[in-house]
Amino acid sequence: MIGLYAKAAAGAVLPRPSSLPDTVRTRTVRPTVGRVADYAAVCGFPLSDVLPATFPHVLAFGLQMELMAARSFPLALPGLVHVANAITLHRAIGLGEELDVRVHAERFAAHARGAQVDLVSAVSAGDTVVWEGRSTYLARGAHAPTGVAGELPEVATPEGPAAASWALGADLGRRYAAVSGDVNPIHLNPLTAKAFGFPRTIAHGMWTAAHALAALQGRLPEALTYTVLFRKPLLLPSRPELVTERVDGGWDLAVRSRAGVHLAGSVR
Amino acid sequence: MRKAAVIGGNRIPFARANGKYARASNLDMLTTTLDGLVARFGLADERLGEVVAGAVLKHSRDFNLTREAVLGSRLAPSTPAYDIQQACGTGLEATIAVANKIALGQIESGVAGGVDTASDAPIAVNEDLRKVLVALNGARTLQQRLKLLGKLRPGQIVPEIPQNSEPRTGLSMGEHAAITAREWGVSREAQDELAALSHQHLAAAYDRGFFDDLVTPYLGLTRDDNLRPDSTVEKLARLTPVFGKGDGATMTAGNSTPLTDGAALTLLGSDEWAAAHNLPVLARFVDAETAAVDYVHGRDGLLTAPVYAVPRLLERNGLTLQDFDFYEIHEAFASTVLATLAAWEDPGFAKERLGLDAPLGSIDRSRLNVAGSSLAAGHPFAATGGRIVSTLAKLLHEKGSGRGLISICAAGGQGVVAILEAAA
Amino acid sequence: MSNDRFRDFSNGGIAKRLGVPRIPVLRRYAPGQPLLDGPALVAGSGRFAKSVAALVTEEGGTVVDEVGEGRVAAVVVDLTDATTLDDLAAARAVLQPAVRALAPSGRVLLLGPSPSEASGVEAAAVAQALDGLVRTIAKEARAGATANLLVVDAEATPAAVDSSVRFFLSARSAYVDGQVVHVGVPVGSPQDPPALDSPTEKRLDGRVAVVTGAARGIGAAIADTLARDGARVVAVDIPAAGESLVAVANRTGGTALQLDITAEDAPARLVAFLTERFGRLDLLVHNAGITRDKLLANMDAERWDSVLNVNLRAQLRITEALLDSALLGDGARIVSVSSQSGIAGNRGQANYVASKAGIIGMVRALAPVVAPRGITVNAVAPGFIETAMTATMPVATREGGRRINSLRQGGLPVDVAETIGWLGQAASGGVNGQVVRVCGQSMIGA
Repeated sequence: MIGLYAKAAAGAVLPRPSSLPDTVRTRTVRPTVGRVADYAAVCGFPLSDVLPATFPHVLAFGLQMELMAARSFPLALPGLVHVANAITLHRAIGLGEELDVRVHAERFAAHARGAQVDLVSAVSAGDTVVWEGRSTYLARGAHAPTGVAGELPEVATPEGPAAASWALGADLGRRYAAVSGDVNPIHLNPLTAKAFGFPRTIAHGMWTAAHALAALQGRLPEALTYTVLFRKPLLLPSRPELVTERVDGGWDLAVRSRAGVHLAGSVR
Repeated sequence: MRKAAVIGGNRIPFARANGKYARASNLDMLTTTLDGLVARFGLADERLGEVVAGAVLKHSRDFNLTREAVLGSRLAPSTPAYDIQQACGTGLEATIAVANKIALGQIESGVAGGVDTASDAPIAVNEDLRKVLVALNGARTLQQRLKLLGKLRPGQIVPEIPQNSEPRTGLSMGEHAAITAREWGVSREAQDELAALSHQHLAAAYDRGFFDDLVTPYLGLTRDDNLRPDSTVEKLARLTPVFGKGDGATMTAGNSTPLTDGAALTLLGSDEWAAAHNLPVLARFVDAETAAVDYVHGRDGLLTAPVYAVPRLLERNGLTLQDFDFYEIHEAFASTVLATLAAWEDPGFAKERLGLDAPLGSIDRSRLNVAGSSLAAGHPFAATGGRIVSTLAKLLHEKGSGRGLISICAAGGQGVVAILEAAA
Repeated sequence: MSNDRFRDFSNGGIAKRLGVPRIPVLRRYAPGQPLLDGPALVAGSGRFAKSVAALVTEEGGTVVDEVGEGRVAAVVVDLTDATTLDDLAAARAVLQPAVRALAPSGRVLLLGPSPSEASGVEAAAVAQALDGLVRTIAKEARAGATANLLVVDAEATPAAVDSSVRFFLSARSAYVDGQVVHVGVPVGSPQDPPALDSPTEKRLDGRVAVVTGAARGIGAAIADTLARDGARVVAVDIPAAGESLVAVANRTGGTALQLDITAEDAPARLVAFLTERFGRLDLLVHNAGITRDKLLANMDAERWDSVLNVNLRAQLRITEALLDSALLGDGARIVSVSSQSGIAGNRGQANYVASKAGIIGMVRALAPVVAPRGITVNAVAPGFIETAMTATMPVATREGGRRINSLRQGGLPVDVAETIGWLGQAASGGVNGQVVRVCGQSMIGA
């Protein structure tokens, strides 16, 4: 997948189409215990007979990348920023179930700061959709021909005392890259991160989201919708805090540090 | 003083090391087992008196293991918990701790047991490297750090893998057991016979549904995968000895427990708490005793401490060895069980070593490990106590009367033994 | 669960332009939801009209006596006193404008007399005519609206139909359509009024319920739904399904019981467990079922026996053992999950169909026997329900199954569960020996 980044970087200057491709990328996969265990260990989930609720995202991520790196995609992959993510788990997914993953892009539209697009993923067991994801990306300064960008979900930012303080090492980006396949250079190495304008490597948004959800182990329903907004990049190493607040019908949570709020999320 | 009630138990099937649970941590297994117990007894969101468990092979990340398991489980987070460790005696010692608090009226309910993984065993860095790393952590300047790093030598990078051996003798547990087996003249045939019976008993217990309310599947495993229902003395006789030396070697992989992963827990409570929750009382926890022997410089074998613990327990309770309907003697090795029984039958040993006028005598072997034991189920060290307590309590409940004796040997020359009686 | 891609597509902009018929999104129950989300037209001169109107008002709804400008969420016509063709014509006069004004997911509920109690030939003909009428309204209704008929015995009081009226008006009956349910005098001793106090929200408060096959699919949905309505659930499944069962039990605050219901001692073990842990049983849900499909020409004894043993023999044995025990008292309910296939037959499922048809026979035979003890026995017969099992069907079979019903979509496990919850209420003692289809008025076996 590093290859995809290289190819995409090389093609960044080439002209691009002005609308989304109709492409639907699909794959069929049966995650192994080893793969799930690696993911669970890095994100802080227990290993059980069901997949962590955020795990299917890594099954869909490779397809998202293929779609976004293709020449038919209107935005250049480097520089796309993951700004929001919503996951709906319809039922617990058993370890060992064969899963069909479909990814397509939609809601490509102009945004005050550029252009925004959603990568929509659906994971099915048999013909039943068991998991859905919507990843919203922003391309700063890019241009979209039509439309107004889809509204980002509304998520509260709880401000209470910290439930946890996380000591995050400099290698976290590399460790999550190894289990997720997200090898965006901004997560891997301070030098490559600098090349993209970050003082140091930054944590993957989806790792932060996963680790926050893992903290609610034993207190979550079987089916849930988990919505997160990625606010400020989380530089590594760092020591952010997790804030959780039980609300009617679920949880609100936030990951914050002195730099500000990095993630706000809601579980329903 | 009131006696604690044994209400029931839960364990996950035990898996041979590096098999089905190769990727499961102690915390994963203990939490899953706790959740299974919560479901069986309808305890979601309940606050219990306490949860006590432990693991023999622990990572530094297993800090506060039991409390972490409670926090990850469906029990109320207001349930306190702590870890203990007494080698293979951990599970039973945890049960004693909880039972004693219940007996004293300090708590009304509790969960006891343990977990172990031999697959996910901690690997420590070489001691020299560890010292450098600790110093590095304390270094304040880059210069100090570089100086410390300059001290590193390639040989220091070799990790230390935990050895299943006694720190003071350097011998493995199997080698220690082999010495005891030879001393008591325990034959290969007798060991293989005990091993075959263990498999047959465990298989029969599974087949009659005995474990339906004692075991919850995990990671696709529904029965202990060490279990060989078709095990026979003839098949076991073909194996080559692995412990001991020369022609006198009798201990094989078939009559020794394999390295295993798993977890087991037992629910205990006062009679009042059980009644208030409409929960059954399977048995009562009567008494327990722990003994230790000097296996380093003295004459006793590493795994022979129960030989000393049981007579003391019997005397305190005014019982004889024959007063039991069930005997649960942990099968660390088949030879350990047989040597223990031989010691209790030996008049000379009774007089010289136990200080008794007469030996404890023999037991009715048809009452020994009737639902199988560690040779068949496997032996995740700290989980064995919980497996045995729950199994024996259910056996007593089925019979409706009588008492059972538990005997568990542990590393460090220790032994933990206990008496359970059927609930009237 | 949004797993019907065609339904979702049919509600999108492209489909509208293409003229693809819309598949309605059904209103489903959520705690706190009002009984109806619009006014109810209550008409008719039978003895229930007044109490139905009171019930709707009590639930915070508005009652109108004729159709006005806006839409109505429900139309209830009490025709229990209809005996002549003139009465029938009067019913038409009420229903004709009413069905035109019916809101999406609206409800048509008729109450009619029992043909077997009719005092003359014309009265019997009129009573039977309602049967055909309601099935037709169901077929003509649009946008997720349903139509059902309660056939009420002459002796039955308003209290006897209360829980059934609530069920059929509410969103809980989303996928029950075109059904005719007989309501008689409630079995057992008369219910204390307090038992009917909070019928909508916690209609099963404190009741002990056993659900077999509860580890996944419809069984898990039944456990969830019963627990949501206040029941203390004992989730039963085979030991091998133990880990999923733990999840169901813990999230419902219930208890897991690993039990192979076909085992020789299973009935005794269940009785012992319930005696020890609860001392009673208020609702027994026979849900566990398996399939081993083969054409009869290729069906060996093993396939036949395994299906019959789980789906029917275990139910017979467990029911018998529980009835022999003192656990099932006055107000206890037994609900068995049959199947549309058990009514219509299905190619390649001789064993399954025999077992599911057998359940209907069991229910009908048992109902009069247990009625004097205050116990009812009913069956639900699901049609096409979206589960992991249907997900593995070939596409053509699945699409066919989904669309050939009046609601043009598959039902959800929760639709079956809600129906069981209604039959499981203490207040539903007037419904006994019935087979209620949860099929969106499927054409199969109709």
